[in-house]
Amino acid sequence: MKKVKTLILRTAGTNCDYETQSAFELCGAVADRVHINTLIEKKNKIFEYDILVFPGGFSYGDDIASGKILSNEIKNKLGDEIKKYALSGRPIVGICNGFQVLVKIGLLPDPKFFKQIFTLSCNDSDKFECRWVYLKVEKKVRRESNCIWTKNLPDVISLPVAHGEGKFVSGNEKFLDNLNKNSQIVFRYSLKDGSEPEYPLVPNGSIGHVAGICNKKGNIFGLMPHPERYVFTLQHPAREGFNDRYGWGKVIFQNAVDFVI
Amino acid sequence: MFEIEVLTKEGFKNSRGEHVLSDIYGLGIEDITNVEYSTLYVVEGDISFGEIETIASELLTDKVAESYLIRRRDAEGNSEVISKFSDTKETGRLNHNFSVIEVWYKKGVTDTVSESVIKAVKDLGIAKKIKVKTGHKYHLYGKILQKTLLNTVAKKLLANTLIQKYKIH
Repeated sequence: MKKVKTLILRTAGTNCDYETQSAFELCGAVADRVHINTLIEKKNKIFEYDILVFPGGFSYGDDIASGKILSNEIKNKLGDEIKKYALSGRPIVGICNGFQVLVKIGLLPDPKFFKQIFTLSCNDSDKFECRWVYLKVEKKVRRESNCIWTKNLPDVISLPVAHGEGKFVSGNEKFLDNLNKNSQIVFRYSLKDGSEPEYPLVPNGSIGHVAGICNKKGNIFGLMPHPERYVFTLQHPAREGFNDRYGWGKVIFQNAVDFVI
Repeated sequence: MFEIEVLTKEGFKNSRGEHVLSDIYGLGIEDITNVEYSTLYVVEGDISFGEIETIASELLTDKVAESYLIRRRDAEGNSEVISKFSDTKETGRLNHNFSVIEVWYKKGVTDTVSESVIKAVKDLGIAKKIKVKTGHKYHLYGKILQKTLLNTVAKKLLANTLIQKYKIH
């Protein structure tokens, strides 16, 4: 059987790379943590991999704004390669700080434009918010969206969040309408029964309670919560999960690995 | 020498300003009715106006939620606005009473954000030797704000006077 190769891009301040590597390995993939300087030296190395991951952390200390310095570096030094990789249809995921990078590079919501349309700004509370939250996986999304990452999930799952800048906002209402129309909003913060939440279960004040989006084609996925922190039931405060062993975060990584196979 | 001020655009939440206002109320001060926060960057070096515009628009400002003002500064600290992103708040401020508190690192204190900005300017393709200084600016709105009150706010909430200095104007 083909071994799926995953590239986990790291830089100064990345701190979720080991957990993400471990999650992909649990799903049967080979996962390498690669420093951005290595990739800048050997730009075509990226095409040796089937899946690209922008992990969570505090790249460059969140200086200027979260993900800003890394997205600036990628866009100016690896822009052509990253865009080509994204348009090839290979799976890409950005988790937390990685989501901020994807949005600021412009890979989300559409790599064809390669332009920033949305942003993830400071939480309404102006504080770092760290807790378990519920996420509604829109029914429509599971049936109609092309998102390869969110298949086989129940209607509501829980995942932990930990961020200071996760408020999903747009400068133009039309852009958000397009996301809705194209079933690109895959995760929204919710209550346990899937109904409308309030703070603190919406940790940041995101418009439409948006927690994760994908591109129209479904291969690129960004989310603020951390699925790599919930691959085993033991990681959940109430020991919930499936098959008495795994957490719902595992399903997200498994979906990408199975897609490549 | 250029100074870039990065502000929250109209219609977007100025979370830090609101947080500071809430802390001010916590001190029992009710004379201040609104606080707007913005970030300051002073860039020094052989850099052209075009390059500083690129740094402000492509690097320091989030195009969705923020806008910027660029000022030219002389050695005495006098400054004049020479460029601004279309929807900055500067004009709206003319009709209000406000005081400004700026917070900067003291000489000799490491400014880690400035080191990141210098790295990112190189990534942008601007291969000039520059120095960068970062600071914080708070517009405090209220009818007549006494200097003693502003000093209290600065010392208790805005500046860590061991490593930072503040300026009221």
